[in-house]
Order: sequence, then structure tokens, then C-alpha cells
Amino acid sequence: MAEHKHDEHYHPPGLQHQFDDMEQQMDSVTIGMWIFLAQEIMFFGGLLTAYLVFRSKYPMAFAAGSNHLDPFWGGLNTLVLIVSSLTMALTVYFAQKGNRNMQVILILLTMFFGAVFLGVKAIEYTGKYDHGQIPVNGWNKVVKEGEHKEEAALRLPFEVKASAAGSEAVHPNPRGDFHILNDSEEVKPLIEIIVEQKNLGEKGFLTESEMVGYFSEGEFDLVKFTQKVQLFFWIYFILTGLHALHMIVGLGIMTWLLYKAWLGSFSAYYYSPVEISGLYWHFVDIVWIFLFPLLYLLGRHFLAGGGH
Amino acid sequence: MDNADAMNLEGAGAEPKVNYLTNGFSLRSWLLTKDHKRIAIMYLISVSFFFFIGGLYAATIRLELLTPASDLLESGTYNKVFTQHGIIMIFLFLIPAIPAILGNFLIPIMIGAKDLAFPRINLLSLYIYWIAGAFVLYALLQGGVDTGWTFYTPYSTTFSNSYVMAVGLGVFINGFSSILTGLNFIVTVHTMRAPGMTWFRMPLFVWAHYATSLVMMLGTPVIAITVLLLAIERFTQVGIFDPAYGGDPILFQHMFWFYSHPAVYIMILPGMGVVSELISNFARKKIFGYEFIAFSSIAIAVFGFLVWGHHMFVSGQSIYAGLVFSFLTMVVAVPSAIKMFNWTATLYKGSISYDTPMLYALGFMGLFLIGGLTGLFLGSIGLTVHLTDTYFIVAHFHYVMVGGQVIAYLGGLHYWWPKMTGKMYSEFWGRISAMLVFIGFNLTFFPQFILGYQGMPRRYASYPEELQVLNVFSTAGASVLGLGMLLPLIYLAHSLVRGKNAGDNPYMHPGLEWRTSSPPPTFNFEKTPVVTWEAYEFGPDSGMDLEAAKRREELESTRY
Repeated sequence: MAEHKHDEHYHPPGLQHQFDDMEQQMDSVTIGMWIFLAQEIMFFGGLLTAYLVFRSKYPMAFAAGSNHLDPFWGGLNTLVLIVSSLTMALTVYFAQKGNRNMQVILILLTMFFGAVFLGVKAIEYTGKYDHGQIPVNGWNKVVKEGEHKEEAALRLPFEVKASAAGSEAVHPNPRGDFHILNDSEEVKPLIEIIVEQKNLGEKGFLTESEMVGYFSEGEFDLVKFTQKVQLFFWIYFILTGLHALHMIVGLGIMTWLLYKAWLGSFSAYYYSPVEISGLYWHFVDIVWIFLFPLLYLLGRHFLAGGGH
Repeated sequence: MDNADAMNLEGAGAEPKVNYLTNGFSLRSWLLTKDHKRIAIMYLISVSFFFFIGGLYAATIRLELLTPASDLLESGTYNKVFTQHGIIMIFLFLIPAIPAILGNFLIPIMIGAKDLAFPRINLLSLYIYWIAGAFVLYALLQGGVDTGWTFYTPYSTTFSNSYVMAVGLGVFINGFSSILTGLNFIVTVHTMRAPGMTWFRMPLFVWAHYATSLVMMLGTPVIAITVLLLAIERFTQVGIFDPAYGGDPILFQHMFWFYSHPAVYIMILPGMGVVSELISNFARKKIFGYEFIAFSSIAIAVFGFLVWGHHMFVSGQSIYAGLVFSFLTMVVAVPSAIKMFNWTATLYKGSISYDTPMLYALGFMGLFLIGGLTGLFLGSIGLTVHLTDTYFIVAHFHYVMVGGQVIAYLGGLHYWWPKMTGKMYSEFWGRISAMLVFIGFNLTFFPQFILGYQGMPRRYASYPEELQVLNVFSTAGASVLGLGMLLPLIYLAHSLVRGKNAGDNPYMHPGLEWRTSSPPPTFNFEKTPVVTWEAYEFGPDSGMDLEAAKRREELESTRY
């Protein structure tokens, strides 16, 4: 840079007017992105706090909710995002090397994995819609008695078992209300456990909120229990919805980055946009790493033979 | 003195240089500007507009309370009036006032930078503020909102028929404006300081804004998600704040106050920064205990996050939590007290001049003292049961917010007005209005302490006849206060047209902002300054050629 020192008109490409040199700019944008991510942590943190409060109040209802999610799709998405983090990290590496072609390929791969994630999410959401698990009454697929019997075969593993036995058909849902399948293999064992624990009284592991929240006059009240599961799905949709929104924003950033990389803008000297976009991408991945176990995995052992 | 443009005698007789105001006159040059100073001026105009609307609501409230019966407004309308007064004043005036106007204008200049680190994000935050303001205005014109500024559930989600959604979205969107401003400030302070401008040479104004920005960054996202959850719940009629579904309204209060208590520090910390500047500069003395004031700002920002529960002493929070929150509330008073003592010590044996900004600063010290100490009454877990939701608390937070932040804001605006506009306002009218604000403020709010202690509840349009005398005092005081607030509008506007040229350093103060021309050029300094002096250095070490500066002042004054 020394040769440019006395040339007032020289302006390195990518250097904004308010900065003196590239180093200052790089520091500023990196600190800026880290602080922005701290802000994002507080944003998701508020929501996760709400989740934790209700999970600790109604663990059994939340376990019932978790058992309605398919860990196969959740696990697949986890894998997809981890691989996309790898391609993103490699993008930064090749940006520093100034390798345009590899950058373009890896950004495209990253975007592909991001799109796969959103596609899987769409499949899951559609499943929830079909099965009356959108937590808002009237927002689900309207199913009348006797319709769509054959769909039962397409359901999750537990339900396939049930439908094979011929004991369960699609729940009629003429108003599109939220419901859970109280007599299905998913919930039945849980309800048995809840009643059993209630009878143990103080010695049982039901929380105080559950003792009040699932029972009317000492009897198990499915409507009240369903409302707690509804809360789980409400939180599930907001958490995963906001996360998906961040993925969409991420894809937007990747599109812009792809364009810049295509033009060959990045080099060892100027790669901060790739670096901070990468930080953002990794952050969104990490949020999912928290969401997956919290939403899909906790409480599954109640049905997996793990007992109590 | 090659780093001090203001001290450059050769420049004095030359043609007026292009400054940030004369650098382009088209509307486009303003709306698409990346200049932090122009953005600050646009903030000044927008924030003043909302201050005026909020003030109209305040006037309506005081008029209604002139008589015991609810005769001017019905109860329902009164609910909307005080709600809108609160929402506009807090979210659209108090939070952006000092950071977005004075902070935006001054931080880059004070640390010797060309601009904030992210000028475009700065402009974006202004546009976000406008969009948020538009949502709130839309709700007001449609019929308003009546939940109280706190939006407590389940009233706001289930029962209120007013425009909660529009206002909630306004608050949600406005949050991003302050997040982006805070982000910009933090990064700017970290990376944009001029050579020699070490952390401990920064003006305390910058330290205060750094602390404020931390709170903005870590608190605001929580209110954003809370208001978002509230809006979704209101829309879907299912949700975690609804007890009918097993949800918890207290959780809303926790999440709301987790931001909204630190938010009062967003409102007061920049005011403290302004007052540190004013006290030290107008006493012409190095500030006493610089490090203590700097770190007390950070301490307030940190402890401020741990006391939100003191808003919920009587709303069903566990008594043990109450004890802890009560204790922490006492702890957070300590850094504020440190500041008060240091300011007082700075005044001791200083050479004090009672210019308008200093009158405001001294007013701040008195009023904030009362506001802060009555806060301890409310933080004591026993006494607060008697005082909760009475006029005592109304008086308390107005002493802090108006007596603290608004007065500091006015003081700062007067102090830096010559720098921002290059014009000097009428000192006579400035002092008159500072006095009017002080007297009017005390007359308005001091009686409310007594009213509250006697048990007058807040948020009612009517009250028992025995309490009328004090309410009449309060309304009379509000008229004086209103006059004191309107006067600056007139004489500051007048100064733009007829004001004397201020010169670059009308007060002969050593801060970096006084070492560039008034108004400053677009990139703030002709040459990047090199800082070799400590903050508030009035002696020969300041690098200022005081004699030359004085001569220059004389030259300037003979020119006009």
C-alpha cells in the first residue's frame, strides 16, 4: 500500500468512504456482525425462554407434542444444515484464495442445501396442516367423516401401525380445528402414564401446573390436555417459522454473494462480505442445532420403551 | 495546531467553506444522504414532531384532571389519551431523542471520525423510525389504543377493541431502529477513533452512549419478540399469555419489563452523558473521577438488566423473587449516586458560568436527585405496596424522564446548537425558558407525590373532590411547563434566520467537536485530528491555542 500513500485519488475497491483503510473496514464489519448476532441471540433467547417456561410447566403435554413431530425429517434437516455450514466455510476459504470458480460452486451448493432445508420444512408444515396440528382453530385442512381414508397409510410410523390394525382412520375435522389423536399410539401411552402418576399424588412426577392443568374434578380432561399440546405447537410454529424466515433472508444474502463472487469481487485483500455472510449463515445453522433436540427429541423416550 | 481546523487563523478571513448543510440543497441530497449530521437533523425534526403530539396528549390529560369529575373526556377516551401519551413519548421521543439526534451528530465528531461506521445502516434506522411512526399515527387516526403503554395481557390480546396490532407493529418496527443505531455506535466507538483518541480520552458523552448502545442491543430484541408474540396471539386467539390455554400473563410482564426496565436506562444514560459534558465544561474544570463516571455508565447498563422484577412486586411474583429484585434495585442506585457525587465534586471550586445549557444541567441534578431517591421508595418491597399504581409513581418517573432526560436533552440541544447550525440563539430567552421549564416542572409533578401518597390512583379520569387543590396546582404547572417547552421552538427557529454567527468555538471549550468549523464540513474535519490531550483538559496541555482562538473570535465578531 505504500506506493499509494501520496496519491489522494487512489481508492481501493470495496473501501467505503468513512474508513481510512481496509483493515479498519474489516474490523468494523466483523464486530458489527458479531454484535448483530448477539442481538439475534437475545431475540431467539426470549422465545426459547417462553419455551422453557412452558416445557417445565407441562412436560407431558410437550412430550406429546414432540411425539407428533417426525425426527427423521428433523434429523435430515440437521444433517443438511451441517453440510451447508461446511460448504459455507469452504466458500470463505476459497474467497481468501481468490478462487472464483470454487466460490461460485460452493455458494450454489450452500444455497441448494438451504433450499432443501426449506423444502423439508414445507413438507412438515403440510403434514401438520393435513393432520389438524396447526394450533389455530379453523386453520387446518377440513376433513369430513369418511373422507381421505387412504391417507392414513401415508402417516408417520406409529400411525401406519395403527391403520394397519384397522383401528384408526383419519380424524374427522369439519371445522379445521386443532386436535391431537387421543386414541392413537402416539398419545395413548402418555395419557396412561399421566393418570398413573396423578394417582401417585405427591410421589408422582407430575408438576403442580400439570396436576391442575390436565384434570377437571380429578378426572383426566382431554380438552385441557389438548390445549397444552396446542401451546407446544404454537411455540413450535413460531420458533421454526422465525428460523425459516432467517433461512430465507440467508438465501437472499447468498444470491447477492453469488452475484458478487461471479464478478470475481473477492480476494485475499477484500473478502469481508463473504466472511460476515458466513457468520450469519453459521448462526442460523446453530439455532437449528438447538431447535432440533428441544422440539423433536425431548420426551420421546416415553414411547420408545425407555419407560419413565 | 495543524489538527485543529478551528484554530486555523488563515482560514478565518476566507470565503465561508462548504459545510454539511450547504453541501447540496435538493430533497434527494437529504433523503439519500449518508452524512450522520444530516440524518441527525432529520431525526431532530421527526422526533420534535412526535414530542409535540405527545405533549398535546399530556395537555389533554392535565385539562381533564383539572376537575374531579370526568367531564372533558369519558373514561374510555381518557384511557386512550394516556396510553398514546405514553407510547409516543417513550418509544418515539425519549428513546431516540438524545442518541439519535445528539449522539448521531456528535459521536463521530467527538472521536474524530469522518462518519459512523455504517452510514447506510444509519439512514436505514431513520427510515425504520419513520415507518414505525407511520404505524403509530395510523392507529391514532383510526381511533387509538387503550391498553396503557405496557400492553398488559390478556387485556391487550383478548379484550381491547382498539388498534393494538398497528401500535404493536409500530413498536416492533421501531425496535429495529434503535438496534441499528446501537450497533452503529458500538462499532464506531471500537474502530473509528482518531489517532491518540484512547478509550479514556473519550468524552463521557461517548461512554454514556456506548453503555446505552449495549442496552439497546441486548434489550430491544426481547421487546421485539414479546410484542411479536402478543400480536400473533391477538391474531390467532391462541397463545402462551392466555390463561385459558394454560398460558401465563405474568410471563408477558417478565418479558416486557426485561426490556422496558433497561429501556429507562436507554432513556436516562445519554442524558447523564450530556450532563457530564455540561457540568465539566461550564465549570471549566476537568471532571472529577472520570473513570468512575465512565464505568458507572457501564455498571448501570449491566445492573439495569437485573432489576425488572421491581415492576411486578404486586402482580403475583413470588415474594422471594421480590426480595432479590428489591435488593438489586438498591444496588443499581449506587452507580447513579456515584455520578451525582462526581458532578458535585466537579462543580466545587470550578469557575462556573450560568449559560442556558448549564442552567439545564443544574436543573437536571436537582430533579434527577429527587427522581432517583423516590425510586428507592418504590424499590422497597414494603412501602411499594402502598404506592404502586398511584400518582407517586407517576411523579417519580416523570422526575426521572422529564426532569432527567428531557431537561438534559434541552440542555444538550442548546449547548450544541451553535455547532449544529452555526448560529447563536438568544441567551436571554434561553435562560427564561430554562427557568420556566424548571419551575413549571416542579409545580406540575411535585404535587403528584403528595397526591399519590394520599392514595390517588393513576389512569383514572375522575378523583375525589378533596384532591382537587393539588391537581389544580399540577395543571397550572403544566401550563408553565408547556410554555417553557414552546419558547425554544420559537427562539431556536428565530436564531436560524436572525441569529448571530456562533463561530467555531463560542464557549472556548476543549472538546474535539469545538475544534472543527461550525457547522462542520461533511467529513467533519479537514484533516484527521491527532489527539494529544486528555478529556476536559482546560490547561495548556489541551493543544488549544487559547489566545489565537480568542483573537479569532474577535475577528469573527467584527465581520458580522
